[in-house]
Amino acid sequence: MSVEQKKIRNFCIVAHIDHGKSTLADRLMEMTGQVSERDMEEQLLDSMDLERERGITIKLTPVRMFYKAKDGEEYVFNLIDTPGHVDFSYEVSRSLKACEGAILIVDATQGVQAQTLANAYLAIDNDLEIMPVINKMDLASANPDAAAEEIENILGIDASDAPRISAKSGLNVDEVLEQIVKKIPAPTGDPSAPLKALIFDSFYDNFKGVICFVRVVDGSIKVGTRIKTFMSGKAFTVTETGVFSPKMLPTDGLSAGEVGYIAASVKSIEDTEVGDTITDADNPADKPLPGYKKALPMVFSGVFPLDGSKYNDLKDALLKLKLNDAALSIEPDNSVALGFGFRCGFLGLLHMDVIQERIEREFNLEIITTAPSVSYKVYKTDGSMLVVENPTHLPPVTEIAYMEEPVINAQIFTPPEFVGPIMELCQYKRGVYKDLVYLDKSRVSLKYTLPLNEIIYDFFDQLKSRTKGYASLDYEIAGYEKSDLVKLDMLLNGDVCDALSIIVHKDKAYERGRQIAERLKDVIPRQMFEIPIQAAVGGKIIARETVKAYRKDVLAKCYGGDVTRKKKLLEKQKEGKKKMRSIGSVEIPSEAFIEILKTDNDK
Amino acid sequence: MSGIYVHVPFCKSKCTYCDFASYPKEIGKTESYFACLYREIKGQGLKLKDKTFDTVYIGGGTPSIVPANYIAGAIKQIKNCFNLAENSEITIELNPGTVDEDKIKIYKAAGVNRFSVGLQTGYDDQLKRLNRVHTAKDFLLCAKMLKGENVSADILIGLHGQTKEQARNTAALAIAGGVSHISVYALTPEVGTPVYTDYLNGELLSDDEVADIYDDLREFLKNQGFYRYEVSNFAKKGFESKHNLNYWRRGEYIGLGVSASSFIGGRRFTNTFSVDEYMNAVIYNKSPEISSDEITGKDAEFEYIMLALRTAEGLDVKKFNAATGADFYNDYKAALAKKSRFLDIADDRVKIRDEYLYVQNDIILEFMK
Repeated sequence: MSVEQKKIRNFCIVAHIDHGKSTLADRLMEMTGQVSERDMEEQLLDSMDLERERGITIKLTPVRMFYKAKDGEEYVFNLIDTPGHVDFSYEVSRSLKACEGAILIVDATQGVQAQTLANAYLAIDNDLEIMPVINKMDLASANPDAAAEEIENILGIDASDAPRISAKSGLNVDEVLEQIVKKIPAPTGDPSAPLKALIFDSFYDNFKGVICFVRVVDGSIKVGTRIKTFMSGKAFTVTETGVFSPKMLPTDGLSAGEVGYIAASVKSIEDTEVGDTITDADNPADKPLPGYKKALPMVFSGVFPLDGSKYNDLKDALLKLKLNDAALSIEPDNSVALGFGFRCGFLGLLHMDVIQERIEREFNLEIITTAPSVSYKVYKTDGSMLVVENPTHLPPVTEIAYMEEPVINAQIFTPPEFVGPIMELCQYKRGVYKDLVYLDKSRVSLKYTLPLNEIIYDFFDQLKSRTKGYASLDYEIAGYEKSDLVKLDMLLNGDVCDALSIIVHKDKAYERGRQIAERLKDVIPRQMFEIPIQAAVGGKIIARETVKAYRKDVLAKCYGGDVTRKKKLLEKQKEGKKKMRSIGSVEIPSEAFIEILKTDNDK
Repeated sequence: MSGIYVHVPFCKSKCTYCDFASYPKEIGKTESYFACLYREIKGQGLKLKDKTFDTVYIGGGTPSIVPANYIAGAIKQIKNCFNLAENSEITIELNPGTVDEDKIKIYKAAGVNRFSVGLQTGYDDQLKRLNRVHTAKDFLLCAKMLKGENVSADILIGLHGQTKEQARNTAALAIAGGVSHISVYALTPEVGTPVYTDYLNGELLSDDEVADIYDDLREFLKNQGFYRYEVSNFAKKGFESKHNLNYWRRGEYIGLGVSASSFIGGRRFTNTFSVDEYMNAVIYNKSPEISSDEITGKDAEFEYIMLALRTAEGLDVKKFNAATGADFYNDYKAALAKKSRFLDIADDRVKIRDEYLYVQNDIILEFMK
């Protein structure tokens, strides 16, 4: 039984990290009786362990609530949670497409922050009605008037009647519920038109196949409906429809304006790509919903199983993760040093971290990851262009006319006292200064154009340490720029170790080469022969370190009673060796590949 | 070849590096211990009556601390209960601070024909730090008593602050004492010993420094006519320890007494480390074994390789194949290829090159499957 559209409110919550998004969501669910206080686990929406530990939301989790408003009517609220990190702005945009409005939370003690801006603009761009809420009124340092002023001055949104709440204590949250009804528009789709439903997320269920999270825009869908997607064109028969309460709850069907899920025994993830539109195979809509841009991975890294025989397990793990993550790209990769693995593309460093951690935790696989890289455009002397995501695939220098690297427009918010150190950092990271604006006495916005490859190295760490954590960074890809780039190779005992190659700016090559050589010297254990470690650019050696040969590696005594004991000792050594990788005749521990990424600060 | 090992778990005081079954406080149990030892000898001798043995090694602890007639009794019991070949090598370990002319006379009369003397170092301050009960002079006195005998000396390298010269001088002292065999052991910090504490506090020499001393000493010994026939063992030609060579050739041996290990019929087993437990077991006709492992297949092969590659003679491929049923060159093709630069392979013999014998773990590991 479908719900009247005018009784539906589809919305999301956007906020800067830590401004209380998850807490407000919890409170809304609690106050609408969606979950009893007894069942209330802290921050219900963040269902992955990883999300809860890091206090960030990665996966979208919709929830349906019933709210009896003061006008006496019962409304259906669909809250679609959004990730809060800049890496996941694509996921935010997907969830925004499923909503008519957005609650914008601003911390009464901090005011508008970098991601408040970014997310609010994203919501405005998606034509959502913005409903500002000022949170953390329970804190003594709360300054709601200043926060309201910032919302109006910086964002240009009327905040005069913004509820001043404490999501934590529940103060004025009832006002939020009322405003949702009043301010956020009801959906206006055509229930009798041909089916159009937006897939805004999906996951794979072992029994039901792919479960698609959908927002029905026009028409309706029910069990037995033959559906197809615009991208793949393949048809499936719906086996289940339902809503989120927040657990999945089967329903008879879903109609225009509703948010829920469908299952149709879809076995392959490619057949229901997130962002695609589902329609009725027998009565198709003429065109899909306006475009979702495909999420483009910006950061690439090699992912290899620590134990080479686990290649297929790693493959399964990545495919399963990809099912839930349209932004993850996977391509088979093959390294002389690390064997068979994958070149994976991520939205950013956090995304990369999250995926790597999930592989290790959820799939119990030990992996080796290589230094993150970006994708370069290589213009060859023969006039052709090549996109290179893996330093190993860079053509010989003689074939390269010039190269381009991705650059970002970075916006850094900081208290004024850190402007100097930040400008120094940006300079060092080859940034081009664009703009500096004093937002108010305590906050400055700095704009720079920076090469992405400098950002993925240690920019965040440096920014944090130079500003005592006060500065925040927001960025968007600004395109490609010509750059003087070289491939930096590391040679171990004369052999290039492909997994250690990186692409760097010419001016940084010497410094990075020396750093990596020094670090490798520390992590490579002494072996039976002296190992020269060299950094080279275009065949020219620019740095050298040496790991001396060890002189003593023997079991001093081995008589009658020692045999068993010594054998056990050797077995242990052998076990340790399994975690080593051979580069020519040199064995290097798998940590080496991660170790070289570390900056001097971590040391 | 087969050997008999007898363990004497008593000593005057514990050396700072020692983690052997050796208990100064239990020396009062000597008489009952030997009574039990004789009983175990008899029991094992009956079980092994079809085998012939060629060597006896009486080690410890400090065998020379107990009255010599107990040792003579043990040898006599062995001769009575085992098939011991004529001209068997019979070795006893001596601590220079615990011997006298009478003891040596009794040992010799009982058939001992090889003496292994624990010199450790020729420097009294170092001996003291190791908590040894003797001085360098005691060694010379002991050597004098053993004049004309087949004598070996144990010396330690890697002592606190030890120099190459000191190690050389120690070896020179041993040679001056007339030894024809020298064992050179690097001080090993075993967990639980006082030396381990020194190691944790960074008071021991680094591996590189130990290797320097070792290389220097090897050179010195070579010039003195002592060739290295195993990682830690140097001898004049013909004076190698037959008993120990048997271990490295993976020959059989029976161990008698506390903590003694045996390898008989493919099975490795070890007696309890407790004197009381040992005596209780023997008195009640129970086995004093606390562990037992059947070694088969790849494990047996690896043992064979691990042991053989410690020696200068290396691994005899034909004997290996005959003993294990394997096809060495074929089964270990990959390991041989990978480590060929460190190996001498010729005439059905594989050995680690001289200069790599002291860094052999990495090579041996390649043969582990």
